[in-house]
Order: sequence, then C-alpha cells, then structure tokens
Amino acid sequence: MIRKYHVVAIPIRIVVNTFGDHNPNGMMYVLKENEQKVKDLVKKNPFTPVELVEPLVIRANEGDTVEILFENKLPFNTGIHFQEAEYDVCDSDGAMVGYNKDSTAAPNECMLYRIHAVREGNYFFSDLGNPSSSEDGSNSNGLFGGLCVQNRFSWWTDPVTGEPKNSGAYADIHHPILPSFREYVWMFHDEMEVNDVTGNRPINHISNQEEESFHGANYRYEPENRRSQLLAEGVVCPNCEGEEVHHDSWVFGDPSSPILRGYVGDPAKIRLFHGGEKETHVFHYHVHQWLSDSKDLSSEVFDAQAISPQSHYTIEPLYGLGSLQGSYGDVVIHCHLYPHFAAGMWGMNRIFDTLQDGSQCYPNGVPIQALQPLPDREAPPKPTELHPGFPNFIPGKVGNKAPRPPLGIKGGRNMTELETNAAIDSPRPGAVFTDPCPKGVPVKEFNISVIELPIVYNKQGWHDPKGRIYVLDEDLEDVLSGKKEPEPLVIHASAHTCLQINFTNRLPHILDGDAFQLVTRTYESGFHIHFVKFDVLVCDGANVGWNYDSSVLPGETIRYSYYADVELKAWFFHDHLFPLAHQHHGVFGSGVIQPRFSKTLDPKTGEEVDHGTQVTVTNPLIANYRDFVLFAQDFTQMFDQDGKPLNPPNFPGSQDDPGLFGVNYKNEPLQFRLGPDCDPAYSFSSHVHGDPITPILEAYEGDPIRIRLLQGAQEESHSFNVHGLKWHKERGNLLSKQESQQHIGISESFTFETYIPRAGDYLWAFETEEDLWNGLWGIIRAYDEKVPHLISLSDRPAPLKRSKPLPKSSGKNPPPAVDPTNALASGPIKRFDIVAFQIPIQYNDFGDHDPHGIIFALREDMDDIIKGRKQPQPLIIRANRGDTVDVTLTNMLKADLFPFKDGIYPYPEVKEQAFYPPSLRISLHPQLLDYDVKTSAGETVGFNDDQTVGPGEKRTYRWFVDSSYGACGLWDMADIRNHKSQGAFGAFIAEPRGTEYLDPYTLQTVKTGANVIVKNPFLPKIREFVLVMHDGVRLLDKDGQLIIDPIDGILLPPAEAEEVDTYDQGSRGFNYRSERLINRYRKHPVLHELFSSITFGDPSTPVFESYVGEPITIRLVTPAERRRSHTFHLHGHRFRFDAKDMNSRVESFAGFNVAGAIRDLELISGAGATNGFHGDFMYRSGNIRWDIEQGMWGIMRVHRELQEHLPPLNNK
Amino acid sequence: MKNLEQMDMINARRDDAIVEHFVRNKGRKVFILTESFPFMFIGNIKDVIEDMIALDVLTTNVAALEGREWYIHIHSINVFYIETGIGEKIPDLKD
Repeated sequence: MIRKYHVVAIPIRIVVNTFGDHNPNGMMYVLKENEQKVKDLVKKNPFTPVELVEPLVIRANEGDTVEILFENKLPFNTGIHFQEAEYDVCDSDGAMVGYNKDSTAAPNECMLYRIHAVREGNYFFSDLGNPSSSEDGSNSNGLFGGLCVQNRFSWWTDPVTGEPKNSGAYADIHHPILPSFREYVWMFHDEMEVNDVTGNRPINHISNQEEESFHGANYRYEPENRRSQLLAEGVVCPNCEGEEVHHDSWVFGDPSSPILRGYVGDPAKIRLFHGGEKETHVFHYHVHQWLSDSKDLSSEVFDAQAISPQSHYTIEPLYGLGSLQGSYGDVVIHCHLYPHFAAGMWGMNRIFDTLQDGSQCYPNGVPIQALQPLPDREAPPKPTELHPGFPNFIPGKVGNKAPRPPLGIKGGRNMTELETNAAIDSPRPGAVFTDPCPKGVPVKEFNISVIELPIVYNKQGWHDPKGRIYVLDEDLEDVLSGKKEPEPLVIHASAHTCLQINFTNRLPHILDGDAFQLVTRTYESGFHIHFVKFDVLVCDGANVGWNYDSSVLPGETIRYSYYADVELKAWFFHDHLFPLAHQHHGVFGSGVIQPRFSKTLDPKTGEEVDHGTQVTVTNPLIANYRDFVLFAQDFTQMFDQDGKPLNPPNFPGSQDDPGLFGVNYKNEPLQFRLGPDCDPAYSFSSHVHGDPITPILEAYEGDPIRIRLLQGAQEESHSFNVHGLKWHKERGNLLSKQESQQHIGISESFTFETYIPRAGDYLWAFETEEDLWNGLWGIIRAYDEKVPHLISLSDRPAPLKRSKPLPKSSGKNPPPAVDPTNALASGPIKRFDIVAFQIPIQYNDFGDHDPHGIIFALREDMDDIIKGRKQPQPLIIRANRGDTVDVTLTNMLKADLFPFKDGIYPYPEVKEQAFYPPSLRISLHPQLLDYDVKTSAGETVGFNDDQTVGPGEKRTYRWFVDSSYGACGLWDMADIRNHKSQGAFGAFIAEPRGTEYLDPYTLQTVKTGANVIVKNPFLPKIREFVLVMHDGVRLLDKDGQLIIDPIDGILLPPAEAEEVDTYDQGSRGFNYRSERLINRYRKHPVLHELFSSITFGDPSTPVFESYVGEPITIRLVTPAERRRSHTFHLHGHRFRFDAKDMNSRVESFAGFNVAGAIRDLELISGAGATNGFHGDFMYRSGNIRWDIEQGMWGIMRVHRELQEHLPPLNNK
Repeated sequence: MKNLEQMDMINARRDDAIVEHFVRNKGRKVFILTESFPFMFIGNIKDVIEDMIALDVLTTNVAALEGREWYIHIHSINVFYIETGIGEKIPDLKD
C-alpha cells in the first residue's frame, strides 16, 4: 500500500514548560493539515506549551511504501533522512552525499521522498541539510521525528476520542488478530536552545549561574530549578527543599513533560528514540521490565536502556502496564543520569485502576482527560464516591508534599476509610494496594540503614569526607568503627523470595557544603529498587506524581515488600529523594537474585552469608560459581590527603563534570603507578607496585564466574572490558555472539557468565582513557594451587596443595614472560612480523595531521610507509578459526620523536593531569582470542611477567583463534596516555576456517588491509570493510597550529566558545582519517553540499566500493579512547544487532561505540539492500554534536554498472 | 527408501522403550530437563498415557508452576533420571 504524507519543515517557537521556558528559534516537521493550526495556536499562546508542538510522529504498516511530499519553509536547505527504511539513495536520502544528486529541498521548495517500510519498528528521521551542531543547526532545534511502522493490517486511533488519527506521539494500535496496545513515542533530545520568559538563558536560582542545558523529551522538560523556585517564593510547600518534591504532583500539579496514560494490564509499546545530538542517556521506567530485543525471546531482560544519539529501542513492558503484580499509580520514566533528570528529562506513565470518561478531576481540580479502554480488554470499573480510584483515594493536600504511605512507617499511621476501600484484602506494610508476594512464599528480611561516614578511596589518601552508604544494621558498628571496609551493599537471595526490607534513615539532616556542593537539607531518604515486583504507590522509595512519598525522615524506619519471581540479575537500589545531591557520595547498592535453591557462601570461610560484593554460590542443579559485583562511579567528590578538592567544579553546585571516579568506593590512579624508572609500561604490575586497592576478584583456574556490572553514579558512560575472558551477549543463548566489552550507563545492570580457563592475572578495566588514568581497573586472579583464603568450589576438582609461595611485590620490574612459542601449537600456525614505529599521519587533504603518530605495521610495509609509497593505515590482520597466530612485535620507537618529554600530555587532557612520561616500551593486546594471560595478553598485569617490548627489542605473542569472532580490537597497553590516541591500535579479524583474503582491485592474496574480499569454499565471496572508529586525536593544521577540536570544527559556531568536557576533547574519524566539515565549509560555505563529492571530491575517509547485491560485512572496532559514546549509522541498509543470532533485531545503527566496542555488521541483502539501489550511502556517526562536523563520516559506494578498476565478486 | 523405513522403525522402537521405561517406573520420582520452558521438572510419575507422561510436579524453576499435574510429551524430554533406589537420590529442593 502507498501511504502519503505532506510534511512541512517550519520555524516555530517551542514552549517547553508552563514556566514559559522556550526555544524562540525552534524548528519542527508538521503535517501540512496542521501547519496553520499550530502556527495560530503558538501565536495565541506565546508562553504556554501547545499540544500540537511535538516531534512529528507518523505511522505506516510493514510493507507500505510511504510517500512524503516534503515542503521546506526554513531559510536553508533541509530534508528528511529516514533511518531503517530502504529507498533510492539518489533521490530519497534527504541529503547530498558523494556523487548522488541533492535530495534536500531549497527554501520554499518541495521534494518527494519515497521510502519502503520493510519491517515493523521505529524509523527515526531527521535533517541532514544543515549538519551544524550549534544553535544555528537544525537538529538541536527540533528538526526530527519518528515513523512508527506497525504490523501489517494494523490501524490506529486516538486514545482520548477513539477516532482515527494521522499523527501524534500517542495512539492505540489495533490489529485483526493481535491484541490492541497503547503506543507512546518517547523522543529524548538534548542541547536545544532554551530561554526563559524574559528571553534570557535560564539561571539557577540557587547558584545564580546559567542553568544546565536542555535535556528533555518530546519538546518538553520540567526542571527542578523551575519547580523549586516556587518553593523558594513560598507559592507552594514552603517547608520543602526541592529535589525531594521535584516529581510530586501534590505540590506542583502535573508536569509539562510526557504523561503516558493507560489502564492496569494494558499491553503497551514505548517507541523510544534519541533525537538529540550529543549525550548518551539512560531510559529508566520504574516497576516494569522488558526484553532488550522485543522480538528475541532469549534476549536479556532490562529495566534501563542506554541510548545514544539517533538510535532507538522498543520498550514493551512484560505483563503490560503495572507488570506482573498489577500495580497502579504514577510510574516515573526518566533519564537516569541525575544531572539530566534534575534538568527536566522525565515524565510519567500514569496507570489508572478506574475508568476515565472525562468526568473526573485530579485532586487539584484539573480535569482528567478521557481514556478509551482498549477494545479487546474489559473496561476497568467506574469510579464511585467510596471507590474513587487512583489518585483520588489518597489523603493528600494540594500544595503540600505527598502524604506518606499508610502502615509502612514504624509507628506511623493506619489507613483512612477511602484507603481501606482501595486496599487489598490483607494489607500489610509495603503491600497495601497490590501484594506482589504470592501466598506461602519464603520471606527474607533485611535491616538496612543509610549512613554517612568518610570513605578513603586509595592508598594516597584521596577521600570523600561525606561518604554516604547503605549498610546492614548488623554491620553498622563494624563499618563505623573501621573494622570492616566500606563497600557498596550487595544483598543476596534466591528466586521465589518475598523480600522484607526494614529501612532506617540514619543520615544527618544536612549534607554540608564544600568546593563541590552547596549545603543541602537532605532530610528524607528512600530505598528505590529495580527489577523486583512491588506496589508502586507505597513501595517505590520515591515521591512521584500523585503517589505517596515512600521515604522516611531521619531516625525513622519504613518497611518495604518486594517479590523476586525468578532469577534476576543484580538489581540496583538507591535513593530517589536526593540522588542528585548525594548518590555520588555512595548511596547505591544491589541485590542479586540467585537461581532458586542457591546458597551464598563467604569465599574465605565457606560460611553461609547473605551479603557481600564477592560470594561463592552453590546450587544443587547447576554448576557452582563465584559471584562478583562491580559498580562504576563518576562525579566522585574527593579531596586529597591535604584536603585539596580534586577536580572541583567552577562553582559549588555545578553539574559540569565535577570530581573523579571510583569502583566499589576505590580507585587506583595510574599517576601513582610509576616505578623508580618512571616507565608507564609497568603501571598495572603488582611486582612493582603491589596489588591495586580496587577489587581483586579471586577464583581457581577453571572456576565458573559471574561478573555483575552496575553503575552507581552519576552521569557518564563507561566502557567495561575484561582482557582474556569473554561471555555470551545473551546469557541464555549459546548462539549469541561472544563479547569482552560492555558499555554501561547509570542504573544499567549486566551479568557476564564465563569461566577462567587458566591461572593468571586478568585485567578488568573501565577502559576509556580517563577512567583508566584515574584508577578504574583491577584484577581477576585465578590461582593454580590452593590458597588459604579461598574455598574451592565443591563440584570442581580440589586445587592442588600449594607447591610454591605466592608472589610478592619486589618493587622491581618483572622479568620477561616466557616465550609462548616453545609450546606445541594447535592447528596451522600463522605468523605476523609486526613493527611499531613513529610516523606523521595525514588525516585529510586539507593538511590536518598528527606529526607524532605511532603505528603498527607489517615489517614488509614499513619501508614503503616511511618513504611515502604507502599511507599509514591502522594495522588490520586476519586469521581463521583453528589457526594459531604467532605475532612477533618489534619495537622501533624513538625517544626523540615523542612530543612531550616533560611527561604532561597537554591536549586532549584527562582529569587530574599528572606527570606520566612516554614509555619507550610497547605491546599489542588482542580482544576475544584465546591466549595464556601469563605470556600473550600483550600487557604486564598483576603478577604476570613482562609482556611489553623494549626499544629495539622484539617479542612473540601466541594467540589461538578458537572461534570466528569477526572483529577484535588490537591496541597497545604499555602507555595509555602517550601511545593509543596517537594511533597505536588496529584490528584482528577472526574469519571462518578456510578463508582467503584478496585485494578487491587486484584479486591478489593480501595479509593486511581494511578493504578485502573474503573467499571461502563454503560461503559466497564477501566484501569486508573494516572501520576503525577513534577519537581523542591530537591534530595540527597545515600551518602547524594545534586544532582544538571539537570547538575548532563547529560549523556556524557561537560567539563564545563553550568549555567542553575533557572526554569530548580531540579530533576524531575513521582509520586515521577525518573529513572535518569545517575545512570544506571554508572552501565552499554551503551547508547542504558539505558531503558532496561533486563539490569537493571524495572524502579522505575510506570510500568502500561494491556492486549492487554483493554481500558486504562491515567490521567496526573502536579501540580508542574517550568516554563519549558514538552511534554508527549506515544510510539505506540494515543489519542484525548480533550477526550470529537469527532472532536478533535488524537495524541501521549500532550504538555505544566507545573504547573496546566491536560490531560485525552483515548487510541484509548486501550492497544496495533488498531493492538493489545504487549510489553513495553515507556511513557516519549519529552524534551531530560533535562527530559529524568533526569528520566522522565516509561513503559506501554501490555501483550499478561495471567499473574497470573494480572486479565484481561474481558469486554464482 | 529402505533406510528411511528402518529409521522410522528405530525411532518408533526408541519411543516405545522410553514409554515402557516410564510405565515400569510409575509412582517413582523423576528428574526431567526439557528444551522449552520451564526447562526442569522434579516430580512423581503419576501415569503414562500413550506417549505422554502425567507428572505430579513437586519442583520446577518457577514456584508458580509447582504442586500441579503436568503432561509432558516424551519428545520434549531431553534428559531424565528416575530414582529407583539404585544410584543417586534426586535432591529435595527447598527454598
């Protein structure tokens, strides 16, 4: 079917909340039929939000062809670029890329786009006519939207009227066979220009400094700053502080931000998009869980989803609204990054238990809009005087803080008559209106307090004098007296347990002020939980909407009740009343719901325990295992031993990346790991420095382990890597791909289940440069023989009696590790002779270059590279499954060629810069491959011997290709400050057995290269394109001036350059190339032509060529190095998220590309996609700010006609 | 063709043998793993109806599915162990 829409891009004033905050220069896509209406409404309502001013959401069915007549009423060329869709790239790309003709529309002109909705799902669309990231760009001002593609034969109606509708974020979707469901579009976006009613930038009323940037959803946000102004002015709740009532509708009425309405049990889909430019957000939805891949039943269960720019997910809550327990009330949805949450990036899912026909009102007298029941579900009962339904039975007082729940607080109140009517038959503390626990289920009780105490983070005395942590009451005395080290509280229970938590608030009333923060009256605290089942009205540990405030005052105890129905991952808990103020002081922990019938033991004594970050788990049915929990932290507010604040913000209370980092309240900064010879190569060595203070996760060789990964605080992305171990992406699916890296944002939780094949020290690390620099790393230690402080697993062979003493720190550099090639090899041996040397790298034809590049190359290519006959490329080598790979690395680094011999690398910076001179040693570390960490990890870690290579020396590593993993990163681990962003990385591609690799132009066999044909007797010939995405590069321009990217690369820059986070600093690109748009713009200042090869010739980034229909695999690796995560998007093509999993979702983007990320993208139907289109398809970052401008883009060229220089694959 | 027929016979005999084995062990405790949800059963063999096992289920992974009768087709059984008094006892699993 052909579905037609007439879409207009218009300038529009976007009012983002009822406080009159607005973007005077907003832009939006709107249906032609609504254009005049929306303009009129905005004119009449200059300071109040207009419902029709929302990101355009249109709908189609799978299989439809969608024709968009696009009309541009903006003063520059714009277009609509659709992700996920298939289309003719020459006329419907909404861009001007390569040698394609221009498919943007000039001002006041029209363009017809025809796209194919090949599959159900979320199709994000946005403008590429104006790629500027500044306030003069289109994307930051709102020019994006979503096409929701439904199952075939679907139709949709308005949830209020029941009438058919053409556009809008909310619709009820119906189908002749499938159940009807509520569809809600949640469009995160950020960095939009916002002014207050006076036309000035909003000022924070406490600090009197400029407010945080816009972080919102659907062109709305509801900032804490605005709401707390009403408190300060005494308009409402004068005794409230601010953050604790930020989401309280009793105080303020409902927010302007999205409220997704439904009835208990309604099936629902939240179409989650990221229309913003820059930040990776974490979508968190209280009470509910969902499959991370809604079409893949073996995918992981999530309740928090990180999302990077221009990507999208479908959130389909299991059991429908209210989850298994049928909870009702207000369920907050928010970005879990607290500065964003406080900035206003939140809304609610309002779940009613009674029918809303439009005749009811909220407690503040605001009418409740009607809500049509879904036609295939029984309508909920009508409200009556005795049973008014949520929220009208709650005894709150408008203008005051929400009441506390009945029964829950020890010594607290009982129920009112209306509450009694609404309650379940046998209400009890923590389960009043819904009981999550089935009858007869075992109950496990924990007494937990939150306390304040100083926490020392490292051996150098960096400390947080106002640490705040959860602790079991039984440990209170030991922790406060220093007998027990503070660590994040982790409680353990088995599946099918009713958890009873008696939570006592023992915090002081005041969080004192210092260089980081202003004095805050954190007088109440709650215990908010993820994953488990509970009654949201009384047990959320939060204060949301018209619910109760389920927190307690100092000295009070509240009782919560949860049910763990099945084995759960590590569920996060934290405070929800003042998290912005104090969660980064340590207010977080986790519960782990182990498989049923498990016992958790103290790994030292073997005694049964119910808490601890490291336990040993036994189970009568499955293999016993070691269980380790790690929490990443940022914004950690520390002082050094002399009381100097470490990385304080510009002013107290600023959320501009204050403080440093921690893991389980510890860190081990590399600046303190320089030995007597000041060589960074031994920073991770326990021989030289002793073990780090960060967790050492202990096991015996062969033990199964589970690593539970969480992030406890506060705003940033982190990239967890384990060297030498790997796990399945989907824990229950042996067919899912194996990984050794995971991106994480706050509140996400992952379980990595694996085993330790050999004794030795394995590095775990949050491996972006700044995290690692500031100490987020530690060791997994597998013993070969018995040690007295670790019990063995009862179902494993007993470890042998210790025959040699355990190693001790000597303060000296370790000896070289033994030569692994002395052992017998398994399978064919493939040898690579690799050299590491310094060479200037030209990043583009405009003269941007790194004069101090460090590269790995095959020895046979070195001479050609030095003499300029070959351009430096990241080293890409390949071997096949079953091969043993001997890599001999020769170090040719020269001390004279390092630029900063004083030991301070000036730009890009890291927080807490310190002396760390360049190492003359180098190494090569591979991901995923099988090797002995004691000889071939390509790093010197723990008590393993030295595996780095000295200048003029060489060393051989032995790696075994035990699976055809596809892409694996390679990088140096001898000096993470002075080597990696300079180019000391590459990729290893593990191919199927029997594969040959050919040059795509000569068809000769090759040993290296980013563009090859892979030929295998059992497979079609495939073109393999390897993209190495990297950032943090220090470039000089053609005049030798330092390029301060990203600022220097901004198109249409603001008058005053803003200060960027350290982790955004540096240039970026693919494969040592960067096609910075600013260079093109200076030459030809026409924004929509900046990607055009007609105007500029081809970009310097790789242009990969193929013919229509040829099989293509893109191998994407991100070895280096900054904490900002990048989305990857390929125009007009789609691929499975997991190439090895046939049930995996199919999309055109891959998110979270950050240090260690690897992706294998097998293009569905090959080059040109299913319909066989030809032309130039852009590959690029999805981050408008600050990637595309800064050169992170290139072209995949698909030819229709035979080219003389490119032999076709001729697959029969 | 002949091979196919032989194969059919082998499968039929194998099925018969399993059914016969369960019939002989009626009333006994059994441990069964299946490929599909809920993956694991411990219970008493109540009856065998053609090639379906009627099981009084004592324990599965999911408590809500316990204490009731389940019918399991022999083709969905991947692994089983019947407690006969010889060999290991099936553990009594308690929350």
